[in-house]
Amino acid sequence: MRHLTVLRCMLSLTVFVTFFAPAEAMTAAGGWKWQATLIAPESDQAVQLPSSLFVDEHRKRYYVAESAGNRLLSFDRQGGFLNAFSAGGDLQTPYDLVRDDEGLIWVVEKGRNSLTSIDLKGQEVTPHILTDQGKNLIPDRLDYRDRRFYALDRMSGGIARLNKSLEVEQWFRCQECEGAFVDFKIKPSGEIWALTRKDHRVVWFDSDGGMLGGYQVEEHVPFPASLALGPAGNVYVLDRHEGRIAVFNSTGEFKYAFLTKGQSRGQLYYPSEILFDPWGNLVVVEEGNGRAEIFSR
Amino acid sequence: MLNRLIVLVFCFLVAVPAVSRSAESTCFTCHSKDDFRGRVVHRPLETGSCTGCHNPHVARYKGLLNQQGAGLCYTCHTGMGRGIEAGKVHPPVLKGQCLVCHEPHVSSRKNLLRAELETSCFECHGGLKSRYQVSHQPYSRGECFSCHRPHQSEHDQLLKAEPNKVCFSCHRLVELRKGHQGYPASLGNCLTCHDPHGSKRAGLLRNMLHEPFRQGCRSCHEQRGQTPDTDSCLKCHAEVGSGRFTIHNHITGKKTNTCVSCHSPHAADTSDLLRSSQDKVCRRCHQDTVSRYRDSLYKHPEIDKCTDCHEVHGSNELAMLKGNGNQACTGCHESQGTFTHPVGSDIRDPRSGQMVSCTTCHNPMGSDFKYQLTYSGAQDLCRQCHKSY
Repeated sequence: MRHLTVLRCMLSLTVFVTFFAPAEAMTAAGGWKWQATLIAPESDQAVQLPSSLFVDEHRKRYYVAESAGNRLLSFDRQGGFLNAFSAGGDLQTPYDLVRDDEGLIWVVEKGRNSLTSIDLKGQEVTPHILTDQGKNLIPDRLDYRDRRFYALDRMSGGIARLNKSLEVEQWFRCQECEGAFVDFKIKPSGEIWALTRKDHRVVWFDSDGGMLGGYQVEEHVPFPASLALGPAGNVYVLDRHEGRIAVFNSTGEFKYAFLTKGQSRGQLYYPSEILFDPWGNLVVVEEGNGRAEIFSR
Repeated sequence: MLNRLIVLVFCFLVAVPAVSRSAESTCFTCHSKDDFRGRVVHRPLETGSCTGCHNPHVARYKGLLNQQGAGLCYTCHTGMGRGIEAGKVHPPVLKGQCLVCHEPHVSSRKNLLRAELETSCFECHGGLKSRYQVSHQPYSRGECFSCHRPHQSEHDQLLKAEPNKVCFSCHRLVELRKGHQGYPASLGNCLTCHDPHGSKRAGLLRNMLHEPFRQGCRSCHEQRGQTPDTDSCLKCHAEVGSGRFTIHNHITGKKTNTCVSCHSPHAADTSDLLRSSQDKVCRRCHQDTVSRYRDSLYKHPEIDKCTDCHEVHGSNELAMLKGNGNQACTGCHESQGTFTHPVGSDIRDPRSGQMVSCTTCHNPMGSDFKYQLTYSGAQDLCRQCHKSY
């Protein structure tokens, strides 16, 4: 009789855990768990098409470019909303951003087709049109490393490295690829890892633009949108339409995939970028859900 | 002992065909043999192996078939089953509908085709004209397989090879050069100017000509061999240029000219000079979207007209829509724009904080739920937001 009571209690507990466990306690493949959501407070307007995110390790801040809302949003390391900045309503479709060593914020403004510098102290906003050999670039993704800018040029499909005077000093192009790059990340060693959409390829370059290797991801990622380089050397590739992230090792061997399409917490709807923050968390920016979600394990 | 063994082997050899003949004759005591006579007979029928496909007593499928659809055919045609796993696949093959084109028993045509090739193909490909003012010879002879494969191919349009290779397999380059005097580049890319089936123009030139092309090559190709870039196109089509400065746009990042990824710079079948029909042009890059919705139980009507809902050059909306998740729909669904579940910027989706719109509940292209809902309308959909409902 006592055994039966114990069994009944165990069954009840199982039912409780299955049906009432909070969604955030769910663990996805690879041990990934939702940690926090970067989202504007309910009193504020809905975040419209956030496209990218920059992490300021020194200040422990996340900055989100809100493309359709024409704002830059800042959050603390725990995901708490701090501020919204629109340069007095002057920003035009901010798409990506970085902060340089001098503290200037550099924003790709799609509406102006410019790389715009923002001096918060001097309250100065200066758009710069990027050119190479007399032709205008159409900047898209942006990164900053060792006092140099890296800009994905939509027009040529390549990645340009620019000096502080915004002159192109090196191109990174995949000659054997049919399509253009859609995203890139830079390893601490200086290697550039890039993703093509039409070819469904991950390729990587040395710092002189020489292509070192590449592999196909089409079987697991039908519509690649972004890639992230994990601390253990794995490559994470985001599928925009499936709302899923596929993980490959450095030689291109598929390991596992996680997350699903949807609007609920821990799901992805039209995600646009993934990246690892300096603390080992995986951050996913979602245009469709107007937020960025932080996952850890 | 040896004699007995010889007798036994003899009996066995005689008995086996007798059993086959017996099976055949058993079936044909009811099924008239006259219905199964023809120039080409399916091998199992010819050898009296009716039971190769049919169960004489009871079966799960119509016609007492052992299996349904292509699965039955692939029990013998094993190579065919393996071959369709890659590349472009003819939709009836993909759906396992072998009998759309083939007869299962007898036919007067090779490969047990149901009808003459051109008739058979036109049953589905009704959009193609049966005759043109100027027709390509293989087309007018109904020889579709001169250029296309019937089941599967590595190439678009189920072509036998790359388009140029298919053309050059009949048309000798030496001869072609005579007809292309002054052509500024090496010959190729034939389909950008020529309709492989037929047209109103001599040389199968497509019906709509780009005005600069009509005026001569030098309008765009200032120097021989020079390829015009995107800026050259935008000199005339300036209104398209602003699309480059949107959140989502279709600059394809080609090294030379991105416009010609979708448009033909010379000649086409339609006034927008698309390289092919709209759905085919879009499918070249968005195969994943086509595949996802192709098999949906509920699909949006006329799903192949992508530009009805999407701003194809550039858009500041999600999924390159023509407006937000409400505006893109209410252009056609006018009453739903005024009388519906509350939608608009004041109504927030509790899951994401985003504006509630038509696309909050509907997947406009298609889903497995009625009205293209994202979840079952019975309960699951509403409970996404109304948790205590």
